[in-house]
Amino acid sequence: MSVFSKDGMSFKELKKDFPIFAHHQRSGRDLVYLDSAATTQKPQCVIEALTQFYTTTNANINRGLYDIAEAATQQYENARTTVACFINAADPCEIIFTKGATEGINFVAHAWAMEHLKPGNIILLSHAEHHANLLPWQWIAEKTGATLTFIPYDSTTGYLKDPAAYLTPSVKLVAIASDSNVVGQLWQDGQLEAFIEQAHTLGAKVLVDAAQSVVHRPLDVQQLNTDFLVFSGHKMLGPTGIGVLYIKKSLHNQTEPYQRGGSMIHSATYRGASWAQAPAKFEAGTPPIAGAIALASAIEYINKNINFNELHNHEVELCQALIKVLERHQEITIAGNINHIKKHGYMVSFAVKGIHHHDLAAYLGQQGIAVRAGHLCAQPFVASLGFQGLIRVSFGAYNTQRDVEAFSTALEAGINMLATTQHGSVDV
Amino acid sequence: MYKEELMDHYRYPRNKQSLDHPDFSYDDNNPSCGDSIRIEGTIDHKKVTALGFSGSGCVISQATASMLTQACVGKTIDEIMALTKDDILAMIELQLGPTRLKCALISLHALQQGLMLYQQKNNPMKGKNE
Repeated sequence: MSVFSKDGMSFKELKKDFPIFAHHQRSGRDLVYLDSAATTQKPQCVIEALTQFYTTTNANINRGLYDIAEAATQQYENARTTVACFINAADPCEIIFTKGATEGINFVAHAWAMEHLKPGNIILLSHAEHHANLLPWQWIAEKTGATLTFIPYDSTTGYLKDPAAYLTPSVKLVAIASDSNVVGQLWQDGQLEAFIEQAHTLGAKVLVDAAQSVVHRPLDVQQLNTDFLVFSGHKMLGPTGIGVLYIKKSLHNQTEPYQRGGSMIHSATYRGASWAQAPAKFEAGTPPIAGAIALASAIEYINKNINFNELHNHEVELCQALIKVLERHQEITIAGNINHIKKHGYMVSFAVKGIHHHDLAAYLGQQGIAVRAGHLCAQPFVASLGFQGLIRVSFGAYNTQRDVEAFSTALEAGINMLATTQHGSVDV
Repeated sequence: MYKEELMDHYRYPRNKQSLDHPDFSYDDNNPSCGDSIRIEGTIDHKKVTALGFSGSGCVISQATASMLTQACVGKTIDEIMALTKDDILAMIELQLGPTRLKCALISLHALQQGLMLYQQKNNPMKGKNE
């Protein structure tokens, strides 16, 4: 089961490609990394791509008339093509490099929504959004007079509750996550595509936040037919500081530049300027060149080593093993729908009655086990699920059953150490 | 992970009580952690005579409140206002990263804010304890 089909490498062997694990092993304690939803670890080839660029072809792009400047430009544009192929964009000019998913969403807020939304318009979100796909829209609503409407999350199914029912002619923008960073997958197979089609029929534009799903499932923007889509490089084995905003070509003219400056003009005078064609129009200033090249390297690594079907099976097995461990503790409550996570999950979020999430996460951290704890940048959603804070275990391709076993041992010890029954001084 | 004394204060908090006629009180919370603290106290001749706290949260926030209230009864307002982050870290014997520093400092912040408001109310004119 847990074998890559592409070159027969097992998930266990995959860990060798990520030097951080060997580093910690050499220093005497294994790193049990269970926080890939926050950021993934980086394979050697990505680290080398960064070093390689700065060592051999570092130059600014789109301007120098010397060898390395032209090589840098070529590598940067090749990276754009690699990303375009990875998400099946129709044209590489639809790929805009940003510093991450958050910047991509703020980009659309400033450069499209601010220009097109009016009082009476509705921005449709879900209750399960990350702050990155909530706060920009609160601000846009305040500035444009549009209102926010939310599709509820249904914990009895693990999916969003009847999303299509919230589509009305007043909805001008849908900004929606493909997966939640708290409970994972939010849409049934094919449901998001159908929903987007219906939104288009009613005249709405759609932005998909694919930050969580991009490293777990294949992404096809033409099949989705979304207008905008964002993700971050660092959650998909790439470096920090690089992300992608997909803008469908037919929207390039009605989307303003997000920033104005170098590299993005057709011509400029003291009084005004006209814009270059996309993608230059949308990439003012020197972009994260090395980051884009290293992101392409991450995508090549995924293409070569990761079969998404196999990965799904692997992650589901890890979730099932983890849930079995958690269910041994009566005081643990798992967020979301357990059966859904067992079938589709790559993360499990939970709370332990009587133990503050930060205490347990700090204890696990001391044992070399990295998990996330808190409101997970989704404070309203975590609160709506009935929690003050959660501990989240999230998996990547490099995780193994041994990681779950190490977590299980430390969890047991942590609960024993931190449990307070006498005075109940924690009400969590 | 935590010193036994800290865990003891967490399991058996001292001064976890409300006072009948407090001279000052202050509520503080950290929504990102879910820590909340209310501190109240009585004052006589610029000296803190009793302290009580209530709240919920992590070991560090709750145990620090217990230790701090214990340490501060009998101290003057000026002595308490002079306490710093380093005094708290020395008291709980922990080196904390930026994420959890707030948990350790929430009770000192609440206590000092409460005392500051008390002083503002009773100063600069001759206060009842002058």
